[in-house]
Amino acid sequence: MTTTSETSGPTRRAFMAFSGASAGLAAIGMEAWAQNAVEIDPDAITNTDHVTDVLVIGGGMAGLFAAVKAHDAGAATMIVSKGRLGSSGLTPFGKGFFVFDPATEPGSIDDFVDTVSRSALGTNNPVYTRQLAEHSMDRAVELRDWGYFNQTLANRPFMRPIDDRDIPLLERVTITHLIKEDGRIAGAAGFRLDAEETVTIRAKSVILCTGAGGFKPNGFPLGDLTHDGTVMAYRIGAKVTGKEWNDGHMTRADHPAATFDTWGDMFERVPSTNGVEVHHDLGVDLNYRAYVLGNPVAGGPGAPQETAEVAGGPYVPQEFQRTSDAPADGDGPPPGAGEGGAPGGPPPGFAPSANVGGASAGMAIHKSEGLVPYDDRCASNIPGLYAAGDALGSHMAGGIYTQVGSSLAGSAVQGAIAGEAAAEYASGVEAPMIPDTRLAEITDEILAPLRRDAGYGPAWVTQTLQGIMIPNFVLYIKKAAMMNAALAYIEELRDHHAPMLRAANMHELRLAWETRNMILSAEMKLRASLFRTESRCSHYRLDYPEVDDVNWRAWINIHRADDGTMELTKQPFGTWPDQG
Amino acid sequence: MTIKSITGCIGCEECVKSCPCDVIRMEDGKAVITYAADCQICHLCRMYCPVDAIEMSPEKSIPVIVPWG
Repeated sequence: MTTTSETSGPTRRAFMAFSGASAGLAAIGMEAWAQNAVEIDPDAITNTDHVTDVLVIGGGMAGLFAAVKAHDAGAATMIVSKGRLGSSGLTPFGKGFFVFDPATEPGSIDDFVDTVSRSALGTNNPVYTRQLAEHSMDRAVELRDWGYFNQTLANRPFMRPIDDRDIPLLERVTITHLIKEDGRIAGAAGFRLDAEETVTIRAKSVILCTGAGGFKPNGFPLGDLTHDGTVMAYRIGAKVTGKEWNDGHMTRADHPAATFDTWGDMFERVPSTNGVEVHHDLGVDLNYRAYVLGNPVAGGPGAPQETAEVAGGPYVPQEFQRTSDAPADGDGPPPGAGEGGAPGGPPPGFAPSANVGGASAGMAIHKSEGLVPYDDRCASNIPGLYAAGDALGSHMAGGIYTQVGSSLAGSAVQGAIAGEAAAEYASGVEAPMIPDTRLAEITDEILAPLRRDAGYGPAWVTQTLQGIMIPNFVLYIKKAAMMNAALAYIEELRDHHAPMLRAANMHELRLAWETRNMILSAEMKLRASLFRTESRCSHYRLDYPEVDDVNWRAWINIHRADDGTMELTKQPFGTWPDQG
Repeated sequence: MTIKSITGCIGCEECVKSCPCDVIRMEDGKAVITYAADCQICHLCRMYCPVDAIEMSPEKSIPVIVPWG
């Protein structure tokens, strides 16, 4: 099997030639690559159609392994990324890679899984937690072979296995739609940033390695992570979970928007591995402190702590409470070292002095917000659609940050598993049939913001969304009244502003689609947070401050009901969803 | 103001490709700061640049944003 590609004429007037002959990967307009066109004519936009067995969407750690393993399992595989392999999303932010080495770990894998479950208050899926430990070393060995642990920038080592295998790679392509036909996945569609061109990809299987996201506050470094995969999948009927959890990273009082000032230590560090180190961190306890005492909050994990006692706040199990600015045993990274902070210093994302809370909101807890897994191989409820890494709600680490370095390692492990599962699925099904009229309909929808003469700019709608979701601790210190008020605004954005988003060029078209995705994600986060009438891990309700084990030993799943509204259901911890 | 300047660009396009937010575009064979408002000040462009052409600032300022923008 090979992956094929074909370019056709302007989409609106002559949407044809979608079938048949194959050609090499199109090299279009190379002399004008990445030129900026301030205004473009949507009616002159062409389309390139690709055919593959397995399509991997996303170019981070999960996407890398998904593509490599799907290819090695015999499937024609293609990767598409809205940025660059190894350089977009959260992959550049992490340099600590968890490895469970039975030769050096004092405890067993059972012990590790139990410790994570105690910290996560049962919110983790132990099958995925175990899988992380069992496969992490194999993935680290492969990364070492590719040179990942020898440098600071991930693109070159990530390209090695892709180049070696000649896996087609489309970069700077924004995917906006997943396509479902006859009840199973059939492909995806989007557009290029660097050419006036839409892209359609017919695939037997699709793996979402699209990460998760936040609400793109100016003060927090998640500029390209806007829950695209989750929202695209939701729109075609996928179930989504974990939307009530929140990563509680604060930011620095000085230059709060400068990602590098906060994360530069990570960006400039050479990746390394680390062993078992389970915490209960990056929840909302420090934001609770900021809420009660005001900003800035001196300290943070690993920094000198404030002495003022604050009553109430999120429950932290005794075993995982922070008691000082140094770990009890005096060595190793400080508590909450996230992706592996420098020993003795604060973890990435925390200044040694003044931090401010409420500076971001709606950021996902790694591996706990995304598609509901229907088995231990990253399958969703839509046949042929898989997800891995932060796009899969595997609850590998639970609803709070537990194992240091598990986010990179978990993405590698799950990407590999999803890649093999998708290749196996693809080998047993016929190529999907997508009517040309359906593709024309989708590309028209993609380009709609370019055709609007009046409407709203995506930057303004995003600013409005930030104003609703961020400064007032809506998703940190949750209260029904505040969340209902925010929900009313979000519904207004969804119903009135999103359909009127306009864009002048491909850069703005990307912002328009990201804005739409963030709006839907905000609605999910508010509804899930209202639904969970208790507090647990990184979900803290001021009006329901206690852990409620009688009613809430359950994950919350969201799907689109027949009438188009969001429907929320419970799935008990430790169970798989009903296959029906 | 975010990414501040590009001086001595050799036209290799590394910064354009490595920017997660599509801030930099090519113009007449050189990299140009095009969408500074979307810069997240992550320095990936500076780090990928082979000739240290990019200067950064930690200050973030965005233009006035209006509904019809």
